[in-house]
Amino acid sequence: MALDHSMPVLIVDDYSTMLRIIRNLLKQIGFEDVDEASDGTQALSKMRDKRYGLVISDWNMEPMTGIELLREVRADDKLNRTPFIMVTAEAKTENVILAKKAGVNNYIVKPFNADTLKSKIQAVFGE
Amino acid sequence: MSRGPGGESILKQPFDRVREYVSGKSEGEASFGDVVALAEITADSMQTFFAAIDRTIYRELREIAEYITNLRSEIAHLRAGELQNDRLPKAGEHLGAIVAATEEATNAIMEAAEAMLAASGEDEAAFKKIVNDKVMTIFEACSFQDLTGQRIARVVETLEQIEKRIGRFAAAVKTTAPGAPAAEDPRERRARELLLNGPQDRGVAIEQSDVDALFSEKPARP
Repeated sequence: MALDHSMPVLIVDDYSTMLRIIRNLLKQIGFEDVDEASDGTQALSKMRDKRYGLVISDWNMEPMTGIELLREVRADDKLNRTPFIMVTAEAKTENVILAKKAGVNNYIVKPFNADTLKSKIQAVFGE
Repeated sequence: MSRGPGGESILKQPFDRVREYVSGKSEGEASFGDVVALAEITADSMQTFFAAIDRTIYRELREIAEYITNLRSEIAHLRAGELQNDRLPKAGEHLGAIVAATEEATNAIMEAAEAMLAASGEDEAAFKKIVNDKVMTIFEACSFQDLTGQRIARVVETLEQIEKRIGRFAAAVKTTAPGAPAAEDPRERRARELLLNGPQDRGVAIEQSDVDALFSEKPARP
């Protein structure tokens, strides 16, 4: 799958400030079609309504966490090929391994900058 | 078995006295006087026995009373009412205010940054004015750090007070660490199972380069 900057991107975080930061960073990188969700449940609902080219999700959210969302996405025949990047402060080796086993495509540790976000998105799409 | 002041069995003395009395008599010579004498020895001995028990019970009750008095004093030193009605609610208010202040400042800074990004550079004077104004807004917004720092210091002080008081109380009541850990509630279990620990301290958290190494620089392709 090639990287297409016009593809819709879904960002998931329970902090509106973080959603705003990621949205601005994505805008700087060149992504304009960006939707937001405040937790896994809302994200899953949006993903079933609209086909997203990339999901960027926080881990630590309620009621559905990022890892639960990832598992739901990977278990869904229609959604399981959606690229998924975890962006989180849960920076422990066991968390990364757990996310990798659950099928995450890449993992970004907070705080991060636009260059890191850009390079990880490019890596997911093999660029 | 209760013991006398010298450590000897309280019951041993009357038995010895009875044995002495009986051994001084020839076989088949028990008279009414003997029976009365034995009864007197027994009554006398029982008085000693019960007096010793009374002293032991009195000493133990006095120790319990002293422990309760000490416990009441230590509970008073906990000043639970002050913690519950004053310090903890204020600490909660401080933390709430910190969240609000940081959110407000972050939004102000981002609004300023977004305005600068959106500003057109065609009119240089107008662009410079926008940048100057927004940079000043950012400086002003950064003043939140001073206020939140003071609030955090108050919360830390409250936590230190609680730690100090509980430590003193635990020492006073001579508690020992329980063998089994406290029961885990559903929220704690969910957090543990989903590894929801929040941001880690330096040294515990891994760097982005460590994460990249775990992905072997070959992330899964969609």
